[in-house]
Amino acid sequence: MSYARGLAVFAVLAALPFFLGNYYNDVYRKLLLWITLALGYNFLFGICGQVAFSHFAFYGVGAYSIVIFLFQFNLPLPLAMVLGVVLCAIVALAVAIPSTRLEGFYLALATLALAQLFIVVLNEGGAVTGGTGGLANYRLPDIFGVRIAGPGYTVVIVALLAGTYALLRRLDHSWFGRACRAVRDNPEAAAAMGVDVARTKVIAFTLTSALAGVAGMVYAFVDNTVNPPIFGLENAFLILFMVIVGGAGRHAGAVVGATLLFLMPFFLSPLIGHHHVLVFGVLVVAAILVWPKGLVGIWDAIRFRHP
Amino acid sequence: LRDFLELAVSAAASGCIYGLVALAYLLMIRPTGIINFAVGEWAMLGAFGGFVLLTRYEWPYPLGMAAVIGFMLLVGWGTERIAVRPLVERGAPLLAPILALLGMLVVFREIVSVSFPPDPHPVPYPFGIGRLELGPVGGSYQSFFIIGVTLAVFAGAWLFFERTVAGKSFEAVAIHRRAAALMGINLSRVTALSFAGGAGAAGLAGLLVSPNISAHYLMGVPLAIQGFTALVIGGVGRVEGALLGGLLLAFAEQFIARYAPIASGYTQGVPLLFLMIFLLVRPTGLLRARA
Repeated sequence: MSYARGLAVFAVLAALPFFLGNYYNDVYRKLLLWITLALGYNFLFGICGQVAFSHFAFYGVGAYSIVIFLFQFNLPLPLAMVLGVVLCAIVALAVAIPSTRLEGFYLALATLALAQLFIVVLNEGGAVTGGTGGLANYRLPDIFGVRIAGPGYTVVIVALLAGTYALLRRLDHSWFGRACRAVRDNPEAAAAMGVDVARTKVIAFTLTSALAGVAGMVYAFVDNTVNPPIFGLENAFLILFMVIVGGAGRHAGAVVGATLLFLMPFFLSPLIGHHHVLVFGVLVVAAILVWPKGLVGIWDAIRFRHP
Repeated sequence: LRDFLELAVSAAASGCIYGLVALAYLLMIRPTGIINFAVGEWAMLGAFGGFVLLTRYEWPYPLGMAAVIGFMLLVGWGTERIAVRPLVERGAPLLAPILALLGMLVVFREIVSVSFPPDPHPVPYPFGIGRLELGPVGGSYQSFFIIGVTLAVFAGAWLFFERTVAGKSFEAVAIHRRAAALMGINLSRVTALSFAGGAGAAGLAGLLVSPNISAHYLMGVPLAIQGFTALVIGGVGRVEGALLGGLLLAFAEQFIARYAPIASGYTQGVPLLFLMIFLLVRPTGLLRARA
């Protein structure tokens, strides 16, 4: 995407919230956050080939840390943000160094245990994490005396999405992105070509987890409440399925998958009630069995069909 | 000491449940390398089978139990047909069937959640509610029933793998897939049987545990995590490892909950910590595969 087109897309996305009501603004913000998370997860799972269930735990670390830094330690906003990012990166690095040694699905299960443990800690954290009820009754501090709320805050989320996308796209097209794909497809060959497999995996894991943490910091002021269930296993599965259905390893796939699976309940719930989750499960199995390249793969097949 | 022995019996019973779930994983991992995280949902299906046949239609227990296990064998076989075989035949990477089975997890859970109301469903005890005292050792009938059935299943599994040609063929596939195929072992039949057996073991675990905790559509994932932890502790190499891992995990869990001075909520974290520590420090488990 050229800069002009990128700017045009950004302008449209950022202008949209001003034409939406409160309810649709909320839906739109959540959608943007899901896309942001899916883009990061796609880099980890689709491009670097690591299945981890800790993505939402890091989202939670970001969200909880900024709220705790701001309102329990009473730190100023810029310092709290920096500390939040640093905390996420340190935790991610501490998890990544031992666990990325694990092969295949064993990494998934180790990070699954970590994610569950994070929920246990949140539930038992007493006054610091607010226990099962989480933390609420706070709002974003004014920045230079300006209160950012409503559609204005939605623009902040658009900026988050754009920044995440720009960074990941840049990385994907760099030496590092190619190293990640090589590690995914054939670690031995990658090592033979001089790629440091362990370091590539650790960097990819730490970076995407820190990005999830940043998204979590932004999320903390969307609902103005953080509580444990949002950061649990259900959503960690959902983000994996979004990337699979859309097309793993493609940024467009993450966007399409996140949009489709996030919006599907809004359209299907009124029609078939709770059965929509069953439809979702069948869709995931079908995606893996029938379209291994996801919806983006189907689109490519149609576009590049040879007559 | 009475307290200790009482706790030991109930820990042994839940250890047996974890061991059965771990056995289900092991049956599938050994020949195929596939970690099937849907075993928890299979246990849930077994528990709901028990609810339908034993509570709703009031079948006699042995008949209901046999029917549930038979149904689970079919479920396992069908799952392999739908979600695993097409991918294996296409030569997809190992991760593809694992992810397809994660999707099947959602499918199983949602089929149950749309077919039954969301509250817990009671399943009857085979011998009613009562206590059995054997000298100083005492516990509920159900605890002893669970321990007895599990020991029988593990003895059967051990005999199958050690003493029969069919069991040896499973072992051969586990050691070297291609060589086993060249020796005339039918790989797809071994895979289908391992999934049927895994579903049978998992469904049995669900049926046995259901009188204590009631059948509920969200019971699967915790069982799947605990069973996998048991498997990792015991190691995937040997059948006995699954039972050993299950027992160790349950004893650690229950004794920490009873005697360690930590908040009760944190005891939920014990199996998770065990899982992480064992994966990172000793991924081969306590028992090594026999050479």
